[in-house]
Amino acid sequence: MNFFQWLEHSYVINTISNSKWMYPAVEVTHFFSLFLLVGTIAVIDLRLLGVAGRRQSVTELAEQLFPWTWIGLGLCVLSGFFMFAASATGFVANTQFLIKMVVTVVAVASGVLVQRSTRKWDRPSGTPMLAKLTAIVSLALWIGVILMAAEIANYSEL
Amino acid sequence: MQDALLNFCKWLENTPWALFIGRSLWAYPVVQTIHFTGLSLWVGTIVLIDLRFLGLGGRRQPAGPFAQQLVPWTWTGLGIAVVGGTLLFAASASAFFRNPAFQIKFLLLVVGIAYHVVVQRKAPKWGVSEAVPLVAKLATFTELALWICVITAAVEIPNH
Repeated sequence: MNFFQWLEHSYVINTISNSKWMYPAVEVTHFFSLFLLVGTIAVIDLRLLGVAGRRQSVTELAEQLFPWTWIGLGLCVLSGFFMFAASATGFVANTQFLIKMVVTVVAVASGVLVQRSTRKWDRPSGTPMLAKLTAIVSLALWIGVILMAAEIANYSEL
Repeated sequence: MQDALLNFCKWLENTPWALFIGRSLWAYPVVQTIHFTGLSLWVGTIVLIDLRFLGLGGRRQPAGPFAQQLVPWTWTGLGIAVVGGTLLFAASASAFFRNPAFQIKFLLLVVGIAYHVVVQRKAPKWGVSEAVPLVAKLATFTELALWICVITAAVEIPNH
């Protein structure tokens, strides 16, 4: 029995997947925190592009929103792990899922890059071209994550 | 009334574009992505506003101006989510129409949108300073709970 079979049949995961309310609760947590994660990232990216919330500087808005981005990410990863574990063998064999994981890691890295660069990019004359490009890439990456997640169901019985 | 709506759903799911979304390998995931991207903006910004009124999160700005700043993105998000959602609904309209979880979701959704209009209108008055009135805290807490209920009903759709 390999690790993924063991995980799928472990006591905790079995309890979650056989419960009438626990699995839906995990899914609700995943979606709710995903909206918080992608929502905050999108607002920050749109601000970098100069189209959202110009009442506040990039730094102010980012400092206000990024804590929620990372709380969203934490909840998303935790609930996502339980969803993964419930059908671990199916997920690891699913190419779309593996692509989703890679794109997610790159998207999170772009979020970290944005957070570390906000001070540098925050100029009264507007954000530099590099900031705008990063924002577009970040938006595209998160849309890519959602697209790959939607594609998972197309190629398996999960 | 029920029959008329069901007939409308049957007509809708047999329109060429609804058939296309249902049968194409890539169109359905693309439409789902549109729906989720819109929801991220809509639910994401609403949650931010609610949490801000509840006293959590950055206090650089009072809750009122913070909420006002997000207004255009909240509604852009809803617009995108509704476009995606309508297309998803069209692809299997009569099945959704008969699904009790979908019916509950739809009802909660209408209540949730109307509720947010009220919250948005009150926000500037409620959030002038850090002294947020109790009614604002109750209202935003209820709003958070309401959207969690909408998501729960949506998650339950495939189970019914």
